Amino acid sequence: MQNTNDIILKAINKSYQKGDNTVVVHDDFNLTIKSGEFVALMGPSGLGKSTLLHLMGGLDQPTQGEVLIGGQRIDNLPQKKLTQWRAENIGFIFQSHHLLPVLTAQGNVELPLALTPLNRKQRKQHASMALQLVSMSERADHYPKELSGGQEQRVAIARAIVSDPKILLCDEPTGNLDRKTADEILALLAKLNSDSGKTIVMVTHDHKAAEYASRVINLESYILSQNNSLSKNEELLQNIEPEVDDISIGASS
Amino acid sequence: MSNSFEHSLSYIEQFFINVKQAQALTVINFKSFPQRFAASLVSILSIGCVAAVILSVLAMTEGMMKTLAQSGLDNTVLIMRAGAVSELQSVMFPAEMNILANNSKVIRDAEGQAQVSAEMFVNAEVNFTDTSGQQVSKSLALRGISATTMKFRPNFKLVSGQLFTTGVRQLLIGQAIARRMPELSVGENITLGGAQWQISGIFSDDNSVFESELWADIGMVQSDYQRGNTIQSVRLALNNIDDLVSLEKEWQDDPRLNIRVITEKQFFAEQGESLTRLIRWLGFPVALVMALGAMVAALNTMYAAIASRSKEIATHKAIGFSPFAISTSILCEAVLIALVGGVSGILPLYLVFDGWTAATQNANSLSQMMFNFDINLKLIAQSMALALLIGLLGGLLPAFKAMRLSVTEALRD
Ligand SMILES: Nc1ncnc2c1ncn2[C@@H]1O[C@H](COP(=O)(O)OP(=O)(O)OP(=O)(O)O)[C@@H](O)[C@H]1O
Ligand SMILES: [Mg+2]
Repeated sequence: MQNTNDIILKAINKSYQKGDNTVVVHDDFNLTIKSGEFVALMGPSGLGKSTLLHLMGGLDQPTQGEVLIGGQRIDNLPQKKLTQWRAENIGFIFQSHHLLPVLTAQGNVELPLALTPLNRKQRKQHASMALQLVSMSERADHYPKELSGGQEQRVAIARAIVSDPKILLCDEPTGNLDRKTADEILALLAKLNSDSGKTIVMVTHDHKAAEYASRVINLESYILSQNNSLSKNEELLQNIEPEVDDISIGASS
Repeated sequence: MSNSFEHSLSYIEQFFINVKQAQALTVINFKSFPQRFAASLVSILSIGCVAAVILSVLAMTEGMMKTLAQSGLDNTVLIMRAGAVSELQSVMFPAEMNILANNSKVIRDAEGQAQVSAEMFVNAEVNFTDTSGQQVSKSLALRGISATTMKFRPNFKLVSGQLFTTGVRQLLIGQAIARRMPELSVGENITLGGAQWQISGIFSDDNSVFESELWADIGMVQSDYQRGNTIQSVRLALNNIDDLVSLEKEWQDDPRLNIRVITEKQFFAEQGESLTRLIRWLGFPVALVMALGAMVAALNTMYAAIASRSKEIATHKAIGFSPFAISTSILCEAVLIALVGGVSGILPLYLVFDGWTAATQNANSLSQMMFNFDINLKLIAQSMALALLIGLLGGLLPAFKAMRLSVTEALRD
């Protein structure tokens, strides 16, 4: 139990104080994502999908509630430990790749390994392996400006997985790509999920993208169903069978 | 994965990890520096200007100190009227000189002659025709010297012409003057205080301050400037300079003497100090204002740099780079800008001005004294240190801002 990588958001409240106004983004929000799942998180803009992703990755802290990953609370970790934890456990993939233009694909992928005790040669090896996983080995020496959008996103994925994190958090990873390229990227993510056992949480607006996931959460109806359920907290904490958590679009448990 | 996290890193380990991270980011920043060179140009140039100004001031004062330090022998004592700050203000009488010369601690030659030199020192209004035929007037230091004076100047060399003839209106001009005023060549006539003098020769004295003087027979100077038989200063050489303290006491107690006793070296050092102070008082405030301006420029450049790279920085944070590493790399970049700026200010100055002769007004004699810019490694290092400091200070706030940058906000917009 403790060694798995379940992501548990427990009674999350996230709000922003703007002068006298309090903007509540999430209130008493609960969600469990099992280790090894590929979850697509959908829903209208502004509902707090990115916010959830940031909370799971320790980029943001909840106003109230707990974020547990693999049994460990990360919402109250001191900044230094959190940074280190993130380097070891989380890979982020964003809509824009944010690759460094002055580094080659290889250099970009090697960058996160500067955070590990690996030596130069090992770093090279790991980066090459990651590039191979995303089928970009031939382009290792190319600079981002010499790559297509899809290729850049592949490199960004390689960068996210190079330190072998168990969890990948993707915020609209195919938002900038055409259908064909998007499908390639999604297939790649599905492969990383099935072959390498990565737990993936992907925010997307694309219904076709969601088809690649093992579970789709429509945030709007999920929140509704949560509010209708009276004993939701206990349910979430005690019932760990997939059927209970598997809330499909529009349905309530 | 949580178990890998259970061991807590020691502070030292943590520090080295941070340094390694900062190094990785700094290398990247440096690689992209050529692309941002144009955007950093204002900072680079303004830091360069500050470095150049500071180096000029330092080099000028350093050259001055060096020139003055070369101007005195170790065992030479300068005697002036009590209270006189410079030779110009001093008046002495032959009788006083005789008392001084008779002291047994003064060096004597084989014939028993004491090594004592009586000297006049006046500000001369010099009129001559320059190369373009223009009538020009300059204020130059004129020293009336006696036969023994040369013994105090072992580095004295005639560069051209010959010594002046005693009892005639002839003079020698120092090499520093000759270099700046080429029309003053051997054989030319110039007007000093209404009388015609002929240039008999040009001399050098190992770059000492005397190279900025005119030398003539003391008798001629006394009569032309209506000084009767008074003199202004006396130089004497001691067998042992350690005797000076007791000797000074002896002379101060002598009711016939009312004099100031100082080693020649000390005298020039004091003059140098007052000049140095003057130049620094004028130069440093200017440099300070410029330094502040350069700091603001560096601040601006770095703010712009992190603003344009906020997503990049956020990505680094998301990947797991520590805020410390990120801000350190920003600081390093600011220092790099300062380094380039420093070089851009110092190098041209070094190439053009090292050894260049600069003229300053001697604060005491108001005569033209020629000095060398002396640019050495110490001064370059000092100017560069200042440039780097400006970069560091200018980068501090932007680095802090990058450290505080909120990842979620940067990624959202
Ligand atoms: N700093 C902030 N201050 C106030 N409100 C904020 C702040 N940051 C985010 N919000 C609000 O939080 C809400 C959720 O934002 P979030 O980015 O998570 O939405 P999203 O579901 O990812 O939207 P999209 O699909 O457009 O990306 C939004 O309504 C946004 O206005
Ligand atoms: Mg979003």
